Amino acid sequence: MNSLLGGWLGALGASLLSPIIKFAFPPYREPDEVKLPLADYRDLAPNTAKTFPWGNKPGILKKIEDGSLQAFVAVCSHLDCNVAYISAQRKFFCACHEGWYDENGVNIAGPPPKPLRRLEISVDGEELIIRRPGFKG
Amino acid sequence: MKRLRFWFEDRLGTAPIFAFMRKKDVPRHKHSFLYYTGSSILLFLIIQIVTGIMLALYYKPTLEQANASVARIMTEIPLGWIIRSVHSWSASFMIALVMIHLVGIALVKAYRRPREATWMTGVLLLVVSMLFGFTGYLLPWDDLSLSATKVGTDIPKAIPVIGAWVTKFLRGGDDVTGDTLTRFFVFHVSVLPLVIFLLLAVHIFLVQKHGMSLPLKAEVKKARVPSLPFWPNFLLRESVAWLVFFGVLVTMAVMFAPSLGPAANLLAPAPSGIKPEWYFLFLFQTLKIFPAHVLFVSGETLAVLLILAAGIVFFALPLIDNRPAEKKGRFFVGLVYAGLIYALALTVWSLL
Repeated sequence: MNSLLGGWLGALGASLLSPIIKFAFPPYREPDEVKLPLADYRDLAPNTAKTFPWGNKPGILKKIEDGSLQAFVAVCSHLDCNVAYISAQRKFFCACHEGWYDENGVNIAGPPPKPLRRLEISVDGEELIIRRPGFKG
Repeated sequence: MKRLRFWFEDRLGTAPIFAFMRKKDVPRHKHSFLYYTGSSILLFLIIQIVTGIMLALYYKPTLEQANASVARIMTEIPLGWIIRSVHSWSASFMIALVMIHLVGIALVKAYRRPREATWMTGVLLLVVSMLFGFTGYLLPWDDLSLSATKVGTDIPKAIPVIGAWVTKFLRGGDDVTGDTLTRFFVFHVSVLPLVIFLLLAVHIFLVQKHGMSLPLKAEVKKARVPSLPFWPNFLLRESVAWLVFFGVLVTMAVMFAPSLGPAANLLAPAPSGIKPEWYFLFLFQTLKIFPAHVLFVSGETLAVLLILAAGIVFFALPLIDNRPAEKKGRFFVGLVYAGLIYALALTVWSLL
């Protein structure tokens, strides 16, 4: 009798847990693409970078010597801190645990286990379109 | 007056509690100061509750207002700066005392049978205290606290299977955002206080139930240990300790008030020289010294799993160290010293 009642109470409790857990996780998806006005980034000097919002994360647009742009998610692959591009050293730097990436976002020193995530760039009229690799729009 | 006392006695039946208090003894020996570390933690907990409620009168836990509301407390609210400073310093004092209390008790092995559960609730109280510190650190919402929280909430991700889920729960999403701030505020002022009171009630009940632990040698030899009545002798001495601690606390709070950085910007790179609160430094440095890969495992996963394993050993210490008076017991004293030296060394290293 006791285990019957206990089991029933336990099952009731467990069934209430699911909506509580569901409620605690807000719906959010990282964007597949963001559109930026090209004019804001056209005058970027070579070997300099500018951030843009990639959902809740920072993205970095960096101009390379031949005038084309590279885009990265500017979040360290180690423990998620935001990284900065240091023009003088041509490297990305994460101040949290001193992680370094080369100018192409490849991890070269410190604790980061993986390169920075790259994003794809295309131009549509006066708009820059930044996309998650593989996303077809 | 007497009738009033009887009226309450009839309804509450508190007489046995007072009788117990009158009879309670505190043993006197060379490690007696450890008894005071436990009760002094209560002083700082009370200060945290009072100053915390005061700060919550003006603090606003949202992305837009958090930093400005702390700035307002620091600059406009009468005595606001010192209330915040006392809250911040008292947190440090409390965690320091909890650590001293636990390490001291581990070294004299006061956790031995039948006090294993008292020790375990004590370790959980340390964890809850550190979670209080961790959640509270984000609330001013400046650039340092944002980066520290990003790292701190990313650490569980390294735990296999449930890790990513824990991180998402702590952050309220994939990233640290305004939702995280509000969530941390709720943990800090509502969830964790409930947990700490529950644990503390069990802990204090167990301390009373089992009485004060005697030194291991005295217990083995069945020697008589002189003792001090709890009421009023121990309490009087304790109150002197409280006054001294309170004086030091307020002095520190006045001399070294915590700063407040510019409001956190979710897109800005982490500021250089970020460091967590001092009691996380040895963990911070541990994460830093692990290389990206150790054999085929990520260094981060390995570091987090090692820290977790060490925590479980610490929690279960009385169960593992089950022959305290024998040779095996001495090994565990060495282990506690080794852990202590490791933590101190890495803390110093992280400050260099």
